[in-house]
Amino acid sequence: MATKLFARRRDGRIEVRLNDVGRGVVREVFAHVLAGERDPEHEWHLSLNPPINPSDDDDDPLSTLARQSETASNAELAFMTLQEQYLTDSEAWAWLSTLQVALRSTAVANGILSDEKLESASPELLDGIHILQQFLFDLAGCF
Amino acid sequence: MPTLKILRNATAENDLEQRVESDVSVVTERPWNVIAWNDPVTPMTVVVAVFKRVFGYSNNKCTHLMLTVHHEGRAIVWSGQRERAESYCVKLQVAGLQSSVERDG
Repeated sequence: MATKLFARRRDGRIEVRLNDVGRGVVREVFAHVLAGERDPEHEWHLSLNPPINPSDDDDDPLSTLARQSETASNAELAFMTLQEQYLTDSEAWAWLSTLQVALRSTAVANGILSDEKLESASPELLDGIHILQQFLFDLAGCF
Repeated sequence: MPTLKILRNATAENDLEQRVESDVSVVTERPWNVIAWNDPVTPMTVVVAVFKRVFGYSNNKCTHLMLTVHHEGRAIVWSGQRERAESYCVKLQVAGLQSSVERDG
């Protein structure tokens, strides 16, 4: 039976069981989310700023600012705790949110908006997606 | 001047009625729905975890909503006042789920 990559301990903290390669993947992903939030030219920028109310020409600026701020805060907290072996609940939630944002941004940036598109994606891209999905599957199981 | 007093009371009652009617009209406004959308990459366990965290729903309700999203492409996950709907929508987007708000009906 494969060891889970994340496990909730009795004291409430979440243990990170990633090896150096896994942490390297996570570091790259967190850095991309931070860059995508700050740089309008980044390929993930659009997927990080979807419409809130599609019937309006412009969304409420307070809502968009709140989203930008919370996404960046999560990514920064996740980045700062990259080397931790044990995460608090809030830190683990920041990891989960940032990994999930990265997964969806990867899909959107590569035009993967349907099951058919996913099936026809390149092997390299599918590998990257499956790795993120495995991280997320184990981490979500802790909540 | 009893007549004037009665008229004043009648005016006060009319004011009260108008205020009550005004409150009632706010309550009957159509609610705003928060819609969660399906996507081909998000693991089901993540959707359930996010619904539990954001809305505080039971595990059963979150699983039911997740399956509705999966099978129907979308699900109404919350309804109510516009500001709160937008706030919930933002929380879902911050957690990486595709969501939007729309007016009921």
